Parts: sequence; structure tokens; C-alpha cells
Amino acid sequence: MVSAFEFVPAIAVLPLVSFVVALAFGKWMPKKGALAGIFATAGSLLLSIWTVLTVAGILGSETAYHEEIWQFATGIGTFDLHLGVFVDPLSSLMLLIVSLISLLVFVFSLGYMNDENETGLPRYYASLSLFSFSMLAFVFADNILMAFMFFELVGLCSFLLIGFWFREDAPPSAAKKAFLVTRFGDFFFLIGVVGIFATFGTGLFVTEAGFPAMAEQAISGEMPGTVADFLEPLGMGAQGWFTILGLLVLGGVVGKSAQFPLHTWLPDAMEGPTPVSALIHAATMVAAGVYLVARMYGFYLLTPTTMGIIALIGGFTALFAATMGVVKQELKQVLAYSTISQYGYMMLALGSGGYVAAVFHLTTHAVFKALLFLGAGSVIIAMHHNENMWDMGGLKEKMPVTYWTFLSGSLALAGIFPFAGFWSKDEVLYEALIHGLGDPVILVAWAMGLLAVFLTGFYTFRMVFLTFHGEPRTDDAEDPHGVRWNVKLPLGVLGVLAATLGFINMVPVAKLTGAHIDFLHKWLVGSEIVNAEFLTGLHVYEDLLPYESAYIAGGEVPTLLISAALSLGLALAGVGLAYRLYAVPEPVEHTKKLGGLRTLLMHNYYQDEYQVWLAEGVTLPLARVADTFDQGIIDGVVNGISSVSLFSGDRIRRIQTGVVSNYAALLTIGLALLLIAFGIVGGWF
Amino acid sequence: MVPAEYYLLLSAAMFCIGLFGILTRRNALLFLMSVELMLNAASINFVAFSLQWGNLTGQVFTLFLMALAAAEVAIGIGIILVLYRNFADIDVTKPTTMRW
Repeated sequence: MVSAFEFVPAIAVLPLVSFVVALAFGKWMPKKGALAGIFATAGSLLLSIWTVLTVAGILGSETAYHEEIWQFATGIGTFDLHLGVFVDPLSSLMLLIVSLISLLVFVFSLGYMNDENETGLPRYYASLSLFSFSMLAFVFADNILMAFMFFELVGLCSFLLIGFWFREDAPPSAAKKAFLVTRFGDFFFLIGVVGIFATFGTGLFVTEAGFPAMAEQAISGEMPGTVADFLEPLGMGAQGWFTILGLLVLGGVVGKSAQFPLHTWLPDAMEGPTPVSALIHAATMVAAGVYLVARMYGFYLLTPTTMGIIALIGGFTALFAATMGVVKQELKQVLAYSTISQYGYMMLALGSGGYVAAVFHLTTHAVFKALLFLGAGSVIIAMHHNENMWDMGGLKEKMPVTYWTFLSGSLALAGIFPFAGFWSKDEVLYEALIHGLGDPVILVAWAMGLLAVFLTGFYTFRMVFLTFHGEPRTDDAEDPHGVRWNVKLPLGVLGVLAATLGFINMVPVAKLTGAHIDFLHKWLVGSEIVNAEFLTGLHVYEDLLPYESAYIAGGEVPTLLISAALSLGLALAGVGLAYRLYAVPEPVEHTKKLGGLRTLLMHNYYQDEYQVWLAEGVTLPLARVADTFDQGIIDGVVNGISSVSLFSGDRIRRIQTGVVSNYAALLTIGLALLLIAFGIVGGWF
Repeated sequence: MVPAEYYLLLSAAMFCIGLFGILTRRNALLFLMSVELMLNAASINFVAFSLQWGNLTGQVFTLFLMALAAAEVAIGIGIILVLYRNFADIDVTKPTTMRW
């Protein structure tokens, strides 16, 4: 029987084919290339499901797969560079999520782009396919260089798609910003990749030969030869150097996953078409950063400093972005800040040792955030592309499918029992709490994350009430534009998933009842081979965890209950406040009462201003000085040398008279002299 | 058989006459004739040595030289025509502008 693993590369190649098809023939195809994308991602989804079933061990005994596909640079006496495929529980789960969301986004685009008579559709679908291809290939990458390459491709595709409406002013500028800000982070990532290759002589994520395993050996004392050779002239301890490497790679993660301080590109990226926002935020671009940390988690676990920094960045970003989400007036802006905030939770989970929690939140977030964005897209179609929530209101009766699915996604985002977000966010906070009790840094991050739960509940339901409840506030809201099946179908699928996906990992229930229903946990533990050979199973990570678990109120179960009650209570309080303030027929802008704080929040803490100042006030003068040095000194030397030869050439050319007789005479004299010289040397005289 | 030395003397004499013409005359047509003389001096050398060693290589070369000389004359006369058209003269010391 053929194994699904042999077809794993096809999961990524199918969208690549559809990219080529949509680009070359999209103009003449019935849906301008959408069908190619739909078939390709549907194929990817089927193959992903097959892969997941195989990894689950249902279809045979082989449950993980590692294969080198193409070695594109062979080193002589040094390392080789190759593209490879690695499939384990984590990557197969991610393949499933990415291909599912991509498929639904393609279907939704039929309603959002084709039905709205947009132009340039082949370009749109081609970029979307390339986006899916890059992300899928990134997910199954087996080494960090391949991951970096596809990480960059993902960035390129986001640039193309955010700037899709390039004839307007804002989208190209937002696209450039997204590209430059993420590139700033990727610059550190690139240095980190070079550093990892230099230190370990390999970029492999997995097996004994991979760099996480080598780093572990180096720290536990049995230094592998290559690492020792590198560290000795450096004069640094393994621990310190690995911290630096981890932080360098983290630069790319912070840029892509929109963590503070490189989050500024993400709200602007809302200029792209809404289905693209769904794809960027749920499954591809932004998820890539968090996924990378999860992929090389074995490496990060070795350096507690890096873990602490990840947790702090995550907790801070979760709170920081949530405060900004409170005052935004545009539907997609609120969602953008909620995305930043939710990825903050995932980073918090990773940093505080909650590997399962992070992957769980990544999964549920992918579903409910895609749902919310597609729901917002449906509202935007209905509102004739007006995104201001203050112009909406009362859409509940007019578009019931959108309302109920959006509500399901909002409940999940706010973390209300029993929707998906509750289970995952609760687990994130629980992990941060039990590990934070012994480590004040994690505890601070946990506190920030906990506070953000309240704000999340508030801004989510402020958005829901303003959009769907009350009286219609404009003519567009009075008489919304209808949406078709191609919008409702993806919403329906995701709406059901957002309500139920949390059941894959009901840790509190499992702990209380003793029933083994924490399926995701078991999934990530992986099979024997994943733990023993590939070293990416949960047992490996648990052994490396630098934190001790501590419990309050005498044990695991009370701690769990307190944590769950705390986060649910705060979320409900936020929802309740939003209900009191905004679930009225004629809501007013209560946030205006915040005064100066509101101005600060509306300006996003002046982050953009300060980054522009960094560019214009600091970098530009520096660049000018460098330019002066280049023009004056470097070019000066070159120009000086050339002017010397120009001058001497000008003088020497004067010996040319232009009279033929002179040349003939000179030739004759030369010949005569030559003959005399030969004569003297040859002894004729 | 006449010894090769005589031919060589003849050839050297012709060459020197050609050289003398080039160095002293200013008329472009005389220049051309002088160059022909020098070329033919070389041809005589070829034929003389061909006779001396009894092989045909030198004679074949001479045939080539004749063709070359014909071509050279054609181009030379063309140049002289252009010269005359531009300067109304065929004095080779007049056109000195084709340098820098």
C-alpha cells in the first residue's frame, strides 16, 4: 500500500501548480483562476487529512516521516544545503489547518471578489495560491534554511496581496510597511540561521543530527566536536551563545507574528482584501512565527533566558494590543488588534513551557479568527465596503447566518465556555500560572495575559453589539447587500468548528473526571519514533522544561479550577460591561470618556510616530553621514586615480601628428634600429 | 642557374626604392605605387627561395600576394578618391585631423 508520506510534497506543490495556472491562463478561465485554487487546496486538504490519519497510526505503523528531497548545494568538507520534508504530529496538524483555511478562503473569495466584479482576479488568485504553497512548504520544512526561504516567500506573498488594490493610495503603502517591518525582523533571523549553520554545521530541526539535539548535548557537557570548535575561539559558554542564537531567530518570529515592538505592520495590513486578512491572520503569515518557535522548541527550552523573554513579549503584547482594540472604530481594526493580542497568548504559552497550550491556541485561533474575518468580510460586502462600526447596527435580523457564525467566533475569541477559545486560552493561562509561581518573570507575563482576557471580552462584544445589535444607524445598514452561498458555506463550516474545536483538548474536564479526553495532548506526545528518533515528541520537551510546576490551594485540580474560573469570570465581566454599554438601541461612544488615554490608544501609543522618528530622525542622518563618507572618501579616491590617468593621457596623446609621412619615417627608423640591434647581438659586424 | 643572391639584391633594391618613395613623396598616388614596389620586392624573395629549394610554397604565396595587392590597390584608390573629395588635393600631409 502506498503511504501518505510519499505525497506530502504534493500538499504544497498543488497550490504551486494552481499559481502557475491562474497566472498563465486565469484570464480565460470561468472564475478567473479561483477554480484552480479551490481544486488545488481541496487536494491539499485531502492529502493533509490522509497524512494526519497516517500520523495517528490508523493506516499503518509508520507514524512520522523525514526525507531529503533535493540537495541544492553540496559542501566539500563542510555542510550541505537541502530541501526536505518532515512530518510529525505538529507539522501534520498545521498542514491540516493551513489547507482547510486556504480552501475556505478561496471559496469565500468567490463571493468577496468575483461577485463584486473586482478586476485583476488572476493576479489575486495566483498570489493566494503562492501564499498557500509557501506556508505549506514552510510547515513541513525539515531544516531552518528551508524554513527561512519559505518564511521570506510568505512575506513576499503578503506584500503582493496587501497591496492588491495598488491603484489606491493606502494599500501599496501598507504593503511596503508590512514588507519592511517584517524584513527588519527577518534580518536578525537570517543572521541567526547563519549562526546556527556556523555553530552546528547543520540546520536540521530533528533527529540526533539536528541542531536542537546537538545544543542539548553541548549544554549537558558532552560537547559535539563542531560546536566545541566554534565556541572555543569565541570564548563564550554554550548557554550564552545559544541564548544569542535563539534571540536572533526570535527577531524573525517577532516580526512575522506581529509581536511588540514589530506589530505595527499588522493593523495597516487590513488594507488588503478581507479574505486575504483572514488567511494572513489565521493560518499563514502570522502563524508562521509562532509555528517556528514550536518547531525548534527543543532549542528554546535549553535557554531559560530566551524562554522568559518570549513569555514576557507574549504577555505584554497580549495586553498592549488588547487595550488598543478597545477604542477602534473599524471592524477589521478591532480584529487586527485581537490577532496581535491572541498571538501574544501563544508566545506566552510557548515561553512559559505550555507547548500543547500554544499549539492548541494556534489551532483554535486559526479557526475562529478566520471565521471572524470572513464574517467581517460578509458584513463589509453587505455594507458596500464601509467598515466603520458606527455606521452599522441592527444587522442581526438582516443577515442571520453571518450573525450566528460571527457570534460563535466572538464567543470563542472572548473565551466563553464552552467555545473553542475558552479551552485553549484557559490552558495557556493555566500553564503560565503553574510555571509562573516559581518564576516571577513568567508570573508577570501571566498577570498581563490575565488582564487582557477582560479587555478581550470587552472589545469583542463591543464589536458584536455595535455591528449587529441596536437600530440601523445608516441607510446601508437599513438595507444591506445580500451575500450568497459562497460566503455562507465557509462561515457555516468555521462557525461549527469554532463552537466545537475546543473539545479536542478539554484538560480541565479530563483532570476533574479522570477521563482521557485531552486528545491534542496525546496527539502531540506522539508515537515512540517521534520521541526516540526525531526528538520532537512531548516527552522530549517535558524532560527539557526549565520550570518547576507549583500549585496553589493545595494541588493541581483546585489550581486548575481557580485559573479557569478566573479567566472565565474576567471574560464574562468584559462581555457584561460591553453588554451594558453597547447593547442598547442607540449606543454612544463611551470610550470618549477616557479622554487623553483614548487619544493615546487611538494613536496606537504613538508607535508608528516613534518608528518613523527612528527612521527619519536617527537612521536618516546616520545614512547621510555614511553617504558623505562614501561619496567623499571612497569615491574621492577612485575619482582621483581616474583623473590622474585622464590628465596624463591628455598630455601624451600630443605626440600623434596625424601626418602619414611621419608615421612611415618612424616605422622605418624603428626597423633600422631593430636590424642594427639584431646585428650587434648576432655578431654580424 | 642564377644564384639566389642576385635575386635578393634585386629585391632589396626594389624595397629600398619603395621605401625612398614613401619617405620623400607627398602625393598619395605615388605612395600607393611605392607600396606596390615593396610588396613586389617581397614576392621576388618568395619566388627566389622557391627556386632555390625546389618547392612550390613560395610561388603559391606569391599568387596570394598578387591578389592581396590587387585588393589593396582597390581600397587605396578608394581612399584617395575620398581624400580628393574632402580636401581637393591628394597631398598626404594635408589631412591631419583624424587623430584625437
